Amino acid sequence: MTDLRSASRVRRRLAASVLALAIVALTALFSGAAPPATAASGSTLGVVSDTELTTFNPFTSYYDGELNIIGVIYPALTVNDKDNIPQPYLASKVEHSADAKTWTFTIRTGLKWSDGKPITVQDIVWTYNLIMKNKAAASANGSIVENFATVTAPNASTIVIKTKSPQANMLYLSIPIVPQHIWQSRVKNIGKELNTETPVVGYGPWILTGFKTDQYATLSRNKDFGTDFVVSQPKFDKLISYYYKSTDAAVSALRSGQVDQLTGMTPAQFKQLGKNKDLAVYQTAPVGWTGIEVNPGARTKAGKKFGTANPALADQRLRSAIAWSINRPQLVTKILDGLGIVGAGYVPASFKQWAWQPTAGQKIGYDPARANKILDQAGYKKDGKGVRIDPKTGKEISLRLGIHSDDDQDQQIAQYVKPWLQAIGLKIKIEPMSFDVLNKNLVKGDWDMLMDGWSTGSDPTYLLSIQTCGALPPDTSTPGYTDAFYCNPKYDALYKKQLATANQSERAKYIGQMQSILYNANIDVTLYYKNQLSGLRKNDVKDYLTGAADAQGVYPLQNHVVNWSLATPIKHKSSSNLGLYIGVPVAVVVIGAAAGLVALRRRSTAAERE
Amino acid sequence: MSAVDPVTVEAAGEVTSSDRRGREERSDFGTYLIGKIVSAAVSFLFTLIIGFTIFSIMPSDPVSALTRGRPTSAAQIAELKKQLGIGKPVWQRFFEFVHRTLTGDLGYSYQYHATVSSLIGSRIWPTLLLTGSSTVISIVIGLWLGIRSGWRHGSLLDRLSSGVSLTLWSVPTFWLGLILLVVFSVGFGPIPSIFPAGGMSSPDFGGGAAGHVVDVARHLVLPCLTLVLVVFAQYVTIMRSSIIDELGSPYLLTARAKGLRDDDVRRKHAVPNALLPTVTIIFLQIGGLVGGAITVETVYSWPGLGYLTYNALRIPDLQLLEGTFIIFSASIIVMNLLADLLYRFLDPRVRAT
Amino acid sequence: MTIRPAAPPRTEGLRRFVRAYLRMPTGIAGLVVLIAFVGLALSAPLFIGANDLDVTKVNGPTLAAPSAHYPLGTDQPGRSVLLLVIWGSRTSLAIGVVATVLTMVVGATIGMVAGHYGGLIGRGLMHLTDWFIALPGLPLAISLAAVLGQGATSITIAIAVTSWTGTARLVRAQTLAVEARPFVERARALGARNIQIMLRQVLPNVMPLILVSSTLTVAGAILSETTLTFLGLGDPTDVSWGSMLNQAFNQGAVTGGAWWYLIPPGVAIVIVVLGFTLTGRAVETILNPRMARKS
Repeated sequence: MTDLRSASRVRRRLAASVLALAIVALTALFSGAAPPATAASGSTLGVVSDTELTTFNPFTSYYDGELNIIGVIYPALTVNDKDNIPQPYLASKVEHSADAKTWTFTIRTGLKWSDGKPITVQDIVWTYNLIMKNKAAASANGSIVENFATVTAPNASTIVIKTKSPQANMLYLSIPIVPQHIWQSRVKNIGKELNTETPVVGYGPWILTGFKTDQYATLSRNKDFGTDFVVSQPKFDKLISYYYKSTDAAVSALRSGQVDQLTGMTPAQFKQLGKNKDLAVYQTAPVGWTGIEVNPGARTKAGKKFGTANPALADQRLRSAIAWSINRPQLVTKILDGLGIVGAGYVPASFKQWAWQPTAGQKIGYDPARANKILDQAGYKKDGKGVRIDPKTGKEISLRLGIHSDDDQDQQIAQYVKPWLQAIGLKIKIEPMSFDVLNKNLVKGDWDMLMDGWSTGSDPTYLLSIQTCGALPPDTSTPGYTDAFYCNPKYDALYKKQLATANQSERAKYIGQMQSILYNANIDVTLYYKNQLSGLRKNDVKDYLTGAADAQGVYPLQNHVVNWSLATPIKHKSSSNLGLYIGVPVAVVVIGAAAGLVALRRRSTAAERE
Repeated sequence: MSAVDPVTVEAAGEVTSSDRRGREERSDFGTYLIGKIVSAAVSFLFTLIIGFTIFSIMPSDPVSALTRGRPTSAAQIAELKKQLGIGKPVWQRFFEFVHRTLTGDLGYSYQYHATVSSLIGSRIWPTLLLTGSSTVISIVIGLWLGIRSGWRHGSLLDRLSSGVSLTLWSVPTFWLGLILLVVFSVGFGPIPSIFPAGGMSSPDFGGGAAGHVVDVARHLVLPCLTLVLVVFAQYVTIMRSSIIDELGSPYLLTARAKGLRDDDVRRKHAVPNALLPTVTIIFLQIGGLVGGAITVETVYSWPGLGYLTYNALRIPDLQLLEGTFIIFSASIIVMNLLADLLYRFLDPRVRAT
Repeated sequence: MTIRPAAPPRTEGLRRFVRAYLRMPTGIAGLVVLIAFVGLALSAPLFIGANDLDVTKVNGPTLAAPSAHYPLGTDQPGRSVLLLVIWGSRTSLAIGVVATVLTMVVGATIGMVAGHYGGLIGRGLMHLTDWFIALPGLPLAISLAAVLGQGATSITIAIAVTSWTGTARLVRAQTLAVEARPFVERARALGARNIQIMLRQVLPNVMPLILVSSTLTVAGAILSETTLTFLGLGDPTDVSWGSMLNQAFNQGAVTGGAWWYLIPPGVAIVIVVLGFTLTGRAVETILNPRMARKS
């Protein structure tokens, strides 16, 4: 009997330790492969990705977070400096013909891909031609090369690009160049290629060495990166770009020191972090606008009308009354806590070379009385309930405002816009929609007004092209890329003219005139440009460009590619990461305790039975 | 599961003593098993019908969403429509859908540029880790408290644990998660930031494989704690009422009459019998827990299936949403099946019939 | 599960019920909470004007900490969080109650029909119920709400679709028990039609059970409503507890240190859900003596 009992006790103890092991193993097993162990001596710059990270395929990716990484692992003909002016990169010299249709690039020689193979003009020609000829490869940069006729390499150090019509923004078009010997075999499936198998063969200040979908990308300093570019050799050994779904997680990571720099906080967080002595909070210039699209009536290129927009919106006077009823400065004060610029021109005010301001006589402010007067004069009488009647149909004017249901800002803005429009006698119905549904309605023309936002790179050509007649849908079943179905020959003529003007300051004049036309049309009511709110761990990183506002209150743009190279680690004698010192032991204790508790229970049970 | 909880093992031990009835029941068990599997299969088919119906309600036009803001040719659009199976009759799409699902092809997520099954395959492990560890802890705490509360119902411990259970049941999971996040991750008042705010691991944690395990455990603490707090209360309630159900049973009187100590009566007689319904109900709940972790995973950016669902929801990425829905349903059906089998295995009365 | 057929003088039964209820402190606490919240929700329009909620008209400070003037602080547009919590109870309670009524109607109908007819219809309906129980609640509700589009209506439908099964099972069991009683046999013998039996004999006897179960369902429905709204499936322009938490989360209240925006709506949810649960359990205890022994 005794023997049997002690045997069972042993078994119980065994079971307990098996359990303890099992819990540890569970964690080990399900937590996936361990990342490559990092050298303790290396310095790491942690940053927060603007968007989800799923692919680094330069032919298909168009999310900012991915593009920032693609920009540091693949070269291009030119690269933007800290002021976002294009500078030499693979190309050391550029010349163009008088008509701006033939561009000749002198290419550097002697540079090598990260696998040791040389970077040749053939790589460049191959990459450009792939985008020009292969539909799947054109999904990210297809519109840029639309106007290209040929890309050739007459010799080992020259590239010649010929365009169909003049293309003044050529230097702004930095298309990532990929190594042909790696990508040739991927062409067949290029639309689905994710290019996430590390290390990724490329050339740039960084090499992509590790990646976990939707979590982080790890990059190592490229020790062989050239020293004569405007983008310098990185000072940090490693760069990790984290993606956080919630800004709370991102902000906590910045506070705890897991990341060193973060762009994209809410005003509430910005205010709170400003009190933290380890952090420097700063604003960077907005690269996009937030606005309301107003639908004057959907139409195809041929002029065929479709969609269900309220016909009254075709009236320019009604649209201008809507613009006069909106208090843009209040939106900036209340929603952005003042951390932004009141909207005016179509190109964000921070792109100083293209920015445009309405003249004093043209400027639309907040004046409900004036809006009411415009409507009264236009013959929109109010009925008994105070709602204006469309004289053509005799019906009350009721407008839908589509907002993105997952966008908190849209929701906030809608709460303001509704009472403002009601104050001038317009009925308004807010329709929260998913991204998918909203876009579907937009394309079908089934909307009156909707919240929209566009951001742009330093060349606004694409942004401006959205409002040209060419962006209208070819027929009612094929979507175009227009927003508000706008089409104005005068605007289109200026669009062509600016594209053919190689003199950039003259070009800016035309771009200004285009914005003036859009401003008067009120099909796109630009509400504000939101400053990007950033934070930096100032005791751990130096030389990161944070910048200060100019006299007009406009902050400099953020250029991640430049900044990641400039950032320099500050060496500490001892790390003060208190959280880690408590958190790790707790984690160990929790694993141990769960197992230990059970073990203890079993032993006592066994003991009692004796 | 049984290794975790002392009482489960004992229960199984007691039941096996009546395992003599022997072989003639084997074939009986075979028909039972087949019957259960067939009904699980029918149930799964029903799930597919519901899933298909839901995701066909919306006159989905993903093509225009996919091509928004980008110049696209008519040929590209036609190709996309073909890929997405737009324009086919409903019944044909349904059979194709069932066929695809059964062959493991759950569609393509255009948000992630990846097949839904590969996404689910990589996200299922974090979810299993989170739900698995929180279930283990919840069961240990829940049964321990439930047994003691039930045995001496009306006592201080009972009233306390009932009150706590009831309150925790009333707390929205995501809100509890947010509060824990504020207190232990952001740091509140004198409490410093102790645990990471999101994700599952830090790439620069160091320490090799062992370091990685500690790192994941560190990330796991808060989401796991949130789930445990919400879930264990239910187990307390279930276990407590099962024990109370057993209290008046004559066999307990007999046991007491034999002069056994109160603790022994509880452990050797009441608990094993009360465990039977409890284990079954817990099994039924585990399946649901996998889907219930959506909010916790969202709050803590835990890279599991729930988080994937939340990300799919925002667009909405319908094929991905459909895929996770099917997986969540399947996990419940599998758990139900296991519960049925376990019940039969544990309960001599069921096996006898 | 069986309820004594308290057929004799109704007032007597009621009096006994009230007396029993008054002996339960938790039940009273729950009821007091409910009455307070419902009273506050119904009377809210008396002391909260449109100007207190209209973001273009309020002039409070932006996301300010509690002060004498704003006891629970303000939100981003400068509205009083206290007033928002009170106003939010209207939406949350309304969705909870409507969803519960819907749940009860669907569940009770299916349960009664399944119990009354038995046979093929009954078994078919019970299989349907079983299959529905196997569907994952939250993912199903999320998928439904996502597909039906954002808003209170789709959330209500999603809640009802995911919660009717419990009621159906309960009602079916009770229907079977009631129909076994002599007075139903008598009615049948007297030539009553199926519909008459269900409405006149079965329903009044099942009703108390439905009511008990509904208090508990409201609690669950309110939790589901806040969860779905938090996930962004609600009407963002409505003020509800779920949408307040959704906005607090999105606007960075957690790390922005704005605890006053995060805690009040959550506490309100806990209190109301607890109120419904305590009330429901108290009633259940009185009506079901077997349960009484347990608590």
